[in-house]
Amino acid sequence: MNEAAPQPEAAVVAERLTKRYGSLTAVEDLSFTVAPGEIVGFLGPNGAGKSTTMRILSGTMSGTSGRAAIWGVSVALDPAGAKRHLAYMPENNPLPEDLRVEEYLTLRARLKDVAPDRVDERVRRVMEDCDLTRRASGRLIGQLSKGFRQRVGIADALLAEPRVVILDEPTIGLDPHQILGIRELIRSLRGKMAVLISSHILHEVEQVCDKVVIINRGRLVAQGRTEDLRRELLPEAAFTVVTRADEAALLAACRRAEAAAGVAALAGADGWNTFRVTLPAGSPARETLAATLIGAGLALREVAEEKFGLEDIFLAATRRAPGEGRRS
Amino acid sequence: MRHFRTLLAHELRSAALSWNTWAAAGLFLALMGGIHFFALVDAARAPTSRAPVEATLWFFWLPLLCVLPLLTMRTFAEERRSGTLAALLTTPASPAAVVWAKFLAVWIVWALFWLSFAVFPFLAAQRLDGANARALGEASSLWGGLCFIAVSGFLHVAIGILCSCVTRSAALAALLAFISLLALTAAGGAIETLPIESWEWLGWLREPAAHLRTFGHLQDFTDGVLDARPLVLYGTGTLLCLGLAVLTVEGQE
Repeated sequence: MNEAAPQPEAAVVAERLTKRYGSLTAVEDLSFTVAPGEIVGFLGPNGAGKSTTMRILSGTMSGTSGRAAIWGVSVALDPAGAKRHLAYMPENNPLPEDLRVEEYLTLRARLKDVAPDRVDERVRRVMEDCDLTRRASGRLIGQLSKGFRQRVGIADALLAEPRVVILDEPTIGLDPHQILGIRELIRSLRGKMAVLISSHILHEVEQVCDKVVIINRGRLVAQGRTEDLRRELLPEAAFTVVTRADEAALLAACRRAEAAAGVAALAGADGWNTFRVTLPAGSPARETLAATLIGAGLALREVAEEKFGLEDIFLAATRRAPGEGRRS
Repeated sequence: MRHFRTLLAHELRSAALSWNTWAAAGLFLALMGGIHFFALVDAARAPTSRAPVEATLWFFWLPLLCVLPLLTMRTFAEERRSGTLAALLTTPASPAAVVWAKFLAVWIVWALFWLSFAVFPFLAAQRLDGANARALGEASSLWGGLCFIAVSGFLHVAIGILCSCVTRSAALAALLAFISLLALTAAGGAIETLPIESWEWLGWLREPAAHLRTFGHLQDFTDGVLDARPLVLYGTGTLLCLGLAVLTVEGQE
């Protein structure tokens, strides 16, 4: 790892980044940071500007205005300096078809300023880490499956032990086993490298990332830890209740605990009805709902609080107007 | 330019393993071998004003237009199309290092093609006795002509590289290179044939036309005349084309 540069407060800084193509604004006034050693998920619907932002941060595209910095080095003013701390795997992961995996990684290691006496060792190490040694090392890249090509891209990103790794859809096209492997690999980078990762697989991001940044139509709509965003964007509580009571009886029982409670019927079978009960943010009834329903004499089979996942947070965040978002 | 050597070695290796290079080499040797064979046959029939070696070199424009675009067309166009150029530029390697490495690699391959051509006169001389061998042409003419190819090759390859930078299509890059090289090769001769003296307002063309005499430069080199002006022309033209190529690569988004 490059030890020469002192550790800055933020490994990645995007400050009021804007990118315009004529009249089309791809990214507007986008600001966020990634701390050293932190893994951050970068989310947004298709066409939200994720890849554009990542390309600006990696120096392969210039922004219209704003500032991008990698490990304290301005990407615009010192692109070579910024690239020394950065590895970027683009979405389509372009690789030369006519090179063997080991040859390609050796070339990339040399271009990434890995010390000549460490090139072989680093290539061997990343090939082992990415499970390329046994099945892919001697093969032409053009003959590899999509999964192995993704692994080669990630191996390339980790070669020079950069301070910052930017991965654009690293698990796209992979099977569940491969996704699991890549997820473990990314998780192992926590604390060692700052990782900015975009993915459409929200469950995966939730599993791996310390923090998420959500953009929509080029603008920031939310950023922060998943728990904080859950509190901010989805403050109400929701329960699944399975009971023999009908909707009116359940609503009446719920209203005893919380006047603003809502009930919606979901399904019913064998005399058991399933309902979704919602309580407003901060309602004390959240703690006592089950006891209240039992106290009201309802026949209950299940009372379970729904856990809002990143998918719900994402949907809530992308539904609100761009620009409404703020630091969580 | 710290990564220049790494990139150059990679480009040379890629060129050596590419079917494209070997196809171009086959075409080159077929063209030059054929031309040299007919030059020898012509010289055997009747005395000619030019020795067979010089007569063959006079056709340098044919591989220049047909073979060189095959070597340069894929350098950037193919990498832009596949996205590997963008991936390359995410490393600390500078666009200038990438352009110069690709340029020098193609130039080396081009120079090797022409060196391989030198085998033909050598083989012909081996089969003839002393007097007849001398009639094939002076060795100095051959080496002078090859020096011209090498020096002008800098500009010709740089033009091909620039053409490959501006498009994602290798075929279009080859076509652009063909047109540009044809224009450059023919420009001097075409301007010289114009009755410039009778057109007062075209008088300013006289000087540039004199500099662009490509075949005149070849004649000077084969005669052993060392003139600095062609060197300056090819040198500055090369730097201009490569500078534009670097700017094009830097500006690609």
